[in-house]
Amino acid sequence: MTPEPTVLLEAVRRVYHSGEADEVRALDGVSLTIDPGEYLSVEGPSGSGKTTLLNLVGLLDVPTEGRILWQGQPVERMGERDRTRLRRTGIGFIFQRFYLLPTLTALENVALPLLARGVAARERDTRARALLGQVGLAGREQSFPHQLSGGEEQRVAIARALANGPRLLLADEPTGELDSTRAAQVLDLLEAAHRETGAAVVVVTHNPIVAARARRHLVMRDGRVVSDTAGG
Amino acid sequence: MNASRWLVHWRNLRHRTAQTVLAVAAIAVAVALPVVLLSVGGGVYTHELASVQDAGFSISVDAAADHGIAGAHALVHEIDGLAGVAAASPILSVAVEIFPENGSGVPALVEGIIPSAFTATQSSAERSLLPASLTLGDPDDTIHYANGTYDGPSSDQVLLSTPLLQTLNITPGSSVLVSPTANRSAGISVTVVGGFGLPPGLLGPSPLFVALLPLSQLQSLVGLGRSPGGSLLDDADSIQVAVLPSLAGNPAAVARVASAVQALVPYYSVTSLTQQTSEIRAAQAVITGFYVGLSSVGLLVSLLFLVIILMRRVEQERTSIGIQRAIGVPGWRVSRDLVLEAEALTLSGGVAGIAGGVLVISALARWGSPTVSEIASLAVYEPVTLLALLAGLLLMGLLASLLPVRRALRLPLPEVLR
Ligand SMILES: Nc1ncnc2c1ncn2[C@@H]1O[C@H](COP(=O)(O)OP(=O)(O)OP(=O)(O)O)[C@@H](O)[C@H]1O
Ligand SMILES: [Mg+2]
Repeated sequence: MTPEPTVLLEAVRRVYHSGEADEVRALDGVSLTIDPGEYLSVEGPSGSGKTTLLNLVGLLDVPTEGRILWQGQPVERMGERDRTRLRRTGIGFIFQRFYLLPTLTALENVALPLLARGVAARERDTRARALLGQVGLAGREQSFPHQLSGGEEQRVAIARALANGPRLLLADEPTGELDSTRAAQVLDLLEAAHRETGAAVVVVTHNPIVAARARRHLVMRDGRVVSDTAGG
Repeated sequence: MNASRWLVHWRNLRHRTAQTVLAVAAIAVAVALPVVLLSVGGGVYTHELASVQDAGFSISVDAAADHGIAGAHALVHEIDGLAGVAAASPILSVAVEIFPENGSGVPALVEGIIPSAFTATQSSAERSLLPASLTLGDPDDTIHYANGTYDGPSSDQVLLSTPLLQTLNITPGSSVLVSPTANRSAGISVTVVGGFGLPPGLLGPSPLFVALLPLSQLQSLVGLGRSPGGSLLDDADSIQVAVLPSLAGNPAAVARVASAVQALVPYYSVTSLTQQTSEIRAAQAVITGFYVGLSSVGLLVSLLFLVIILMRRVEQERTSIGIQRAIGVPGWRVSRDLVLEAEALTLSGGVAGIAGGVLVISALARWGSPTVSEIASLAVYEPVTLLALLAGLLLMGLLASLLPVRRALRLPLPEVLR
C-alpha cells in the first residue's frame, strides 16, 4: 500500500479576472502529486504561475476549477476555518520577504503558531527557544525583526514555520533577498529540517543553486508544468 | 489573556502613536461633554430639589375669611396626630403699632405662633435666622392658653426683627408696648427677648418690621381668644404643616398627607407645595434627555472616527494580519485582537474624558465668573452615570470594530502576501 499523497492536484486551474474581459490563466490545468518526505523545486520564468501554485498547495487560495486533495480530503469542501486549521497544523510557510510580525520579538514570532494552537505559555516559551537555538539564533530571543539581518530574519521565519511540526514546508524564493553565504545557511537549515522531520518541502526559485538541492524538479511555463524530473 | 498579550497590544498602539493619540483625544472630548453636562446639570437639580425639600412646611391650611381658622390650638393638635405629619404650626398675622418705652410707635406685623411648632416648620435657612432657642417663655403655648380658658399666666415676651430693633433703637432686655391701635394706652407691655433676621423674599421684599408673640397672647390682645360673650374663638389665619423629612421629597406621599388634612378640615383650603418638586423633576428629565441627545451626537461622531481609524489600521496592518492568517492564527483571535485594541482606545478615551470633564468642572468652579463658579461647584458625579458611560464606551468599541474585523477576515491572502 502506497502512502497517501500529502497533496494531490487534479487538473487545477486558477483564473484571475483583472479587467472587463481580461482573464489571466495563472494556472492552466496542473496535475501534481506531492508525496510525504519529498523535496521539490519549482522553477520557471516570472509570471509562469509558481507562486499561484504554492498558494493553492498551501491552502491560501482555492482553485477556479479542478480538485485539490489534502491528505485525501477534498479542499473544495472545506471552509475557511478548516483551511486555517490545516495551515496551522500541517503547513509551514517561508516567504521571500520573511514576513515576521514587526511588533513581536523573535521569540514571540516563533511562538505565534504555538499560541494559535493554544499551547500553554511556559511550553510555548521552551519550544520557541529550542527552535531559535536550532536555527542558530540562541541569545537573539528578545530582538525585534528590525534589529536582525536579513539572513537572521529568514532563520527566525524558518523556526516559525517548523514550530507546529508541519507535514509540508512551502518556501517561495526563500533566498531571494540574501547573499550567497546567507542563502547557503538558510538552505542548509531547510534541508536539515527536511531530513529530521520528514516533512515534504517545496521550494520555488529562480536560482539553479537553490533548485539543485531538491530531489525532484518542476519547471513551469504559462501556467503549466512543462517538466517534472527526479534527481539532483 | 496574559500580560505579554497586553504588552503586544500596547506595542501595536504605540507603533501608531499619532493615530492612537488622535483617537483617544477624540473619544475623550466626546466623553468629557456628557461628564460636564450631566454632572453639572444633575448637581444643579439636586441642589434645587434639596432646597425645595428643605422648605420646612409643605402643606398649608387656609381659611377664606381673615383670621378664619377657628379652634386653632385644638386643630393643630389633631393635625399633629395624623400619620406622616412632623409638625403643624398655626399663624395669626395682625397689624399692630409697637411703641418703645418713650417715643412714638412704629407700625409692624406681629405674628402669633406656637414657638416649637413654628421652628419645626421653618426651612433650615429660615431657622438659622431665628434665635437658637425660640421659647418666648412658653414653647408649646399651653400655659397661658390653659385648655381654652386663656386664664394662665402670660409670658409677656416678644421677638423683633433686626430692622425693627434698629428703628426703635432698642436692645434685647428692654420693654415695648404692643398695641392693636395707634393708641399706646391700648397696648400690653412685653419684654424684648431677642431679634431675628429676615429671609430674602422669593417674590419680592418681605415686610421689614415683624414681631413674634405667643399665639394665645396675641389672640387675647386682639380679642380672638374668646368672644366678649365668653365662647371660645381661638382664631388663626393659617396652619403650616411639615411632613416627616423622609416623605418631603416624595410628591405622592405629601399628597396623601394633604388629603388626610383636607379630610379633617373639609371647609378650609388645603394646598401642598410639592408641585414644585414634580416640576423640577420634570424639567430635569427634559434637560437630561437633551444633554444625553447632545452627547450622543458627540459620541456618534467619535464612533465614526474610531471606525475610520480602525479601518486605516487594518489597511496598514494588512500584511501582519495576512501573515497571521497564513500561518493559521484563527479568525477569532485576529478579531479579538482588533476588538481589544478598539476597547483599549475607547476605555483610555473614556478615562481621559472623565478626568478631563472633572478637571474642566473644577477649573470652572475655581476660576469661572461668580455665576459659573457657583453652578460648577454644585456638580455631582454620579457613579452610575459614569459607569454607564464606560459601559457605553465598551459597546462603542465593539460596534466600531465590526466593520474593521469584517475587512480583516476578508483580506485576500494571496494578494496581501505577494
Ligand atoms: N491577483 C492577481 N490578479 C491578476 N493577475 C494575477 C494575480 N496574481 C497573479 N496574477 C497573474 O498570474 C500570473 C502568475 O503569477 P505568479 O505570481 O504565480 O507568477 P510567478 O511564477 O510566481 O512569478 P514570479 O517569478 O515573478 O514570482 C502572472 O501573469 C500574474 O500577473
Ligand atoms: Mg512568485
